[in-house]
Amino acid sequence: MTGDVHVLAAPAGGQCHIFSGCGFPAPGLENFEFQPLFSIGSFHFTKPMLIAILCTITVIVFFWLAFGKPKLIPRGMQNIGEIGILAVRDQILRPSLGRRGDSYLPFLVSLFFFIWLMNLMELIPLLQFPAMSRIGFVWPLVAIVYILYLYLGFRHQGAWGYIKNMIPPDVPLFVLPILIPVELLRFFVIQPFTLGVRLFGNMFAGHLLLTIFYIATWYLLSLSIGLLYAVGSAVLVVFVFLLELLVDLLQAFIFTTLTATYIASSLEPAH
Amino acid sequence: MSGNGKGAVTRSRVTRSRVTRPARDPDAVDPDAYGRALGLSTGWTVFSYLIAGMAAYGFIGWLIGRAVHVAILFPLGMLVGLGISIGYVIHHYGRQEAAGKGDHR
Repeated sequence: MTGDVHVLAAPAGGQCHIFSGCGFPAPGLENFEFQPLFSIGSFHFTKPMLIAILCTITVIVFFWLAFGKPKLIPRGMQNIGEIGILAVRDQILRPSLGRRGDSYLPFLVSLFFFIWLMNLMELIPLLQFPAMSRIGFVWPLVAIVYILYLYLGFRHQGAWGYIKNMIPPDVPLFVLPILIPVELLRFFVIQPFTLGVRLFGNMFAGHLLLTIFYIATWYLLSLSIGLLYAVGSAVLVVFVFLLELLVDLLQAFIFTTLTATYIASSLEPAH
Repeated sequence: MSGNGKGAVTRSRVTRSRVTRPARDPDAVDPDAYGRALGLSTGWTVFSYLIAGMAAYGFIGWLIGRAVHVAILFPLGMLVGLGISIGYVIHHYGRQEAAGKGDHR
């Protein structure tokens, strides 16, 4: 668990504080790399994998408990589940897809809650790591979304129709050869790249920011003027914690909303 | 429209009343949510166009520059690509804005 404050302060025997001759143990990329929890041959099982499995099980169990035996008048878990599903339907699915997109609700609900939970893991004591800050967890989600996006486009518009609809409709013919390289690169490379990197970047930066203030609070804690700064850093920990609570939700919302708009543009061409 | 003028006026009032104050549909799309989704989608599409323009023409410029040994063609290509992207974004989205309609791409 390299993200742990005590591990970072270990060079000074866990007593790395200001004015003790110990430099600030600034966090870096090593905070995102973990020792394997166990290994099977060349396969190493790490903490982010454990977090991903925990999140998957939590989402499945939650919706199983909520809707395994649904009642006409919802109670308990079903109430909470319905609030979550209606929020995704009314704030993400319906604005992009309308009623015709209701069949995609299970996919969008799973996607939203999985990403949100994976992000929230950075704020859960002991786990304290957003799995989405490892880009290897983001690309498979982007691949799922993009394969679905292309599949639906080909299915609903036909192969030729889909390619034809990619050509900008409102530009003069002589401009098309200039625009085609831009359009192709945007569609096949930049759009999926930004979809993934946005989520990864926000989670990576958020975790780093939170770690900096955690470590700074520990580092500045001493019977000196540093104590004053330690209190200031502790206040910032609370502030960044609350900010991350918002960012975690926002990133899940943005990823799912963009997925819904991609599906919408596959079902019928945009103009 | 059949009937006397009074009937027509009454019907017209009913129609107008339905248009201005529709019965609340619990499944109706929230206009704020619609605007948010549209803005998010358009914003990121515009951003993608800007990056794609620079990358596509920067790459073409780099290739030509490598062939003719003129290194300046790489940054020039990027600038040209950025110009093309900005021009297209203004042409496409500016027109939509003027027409008051959206785009889901």
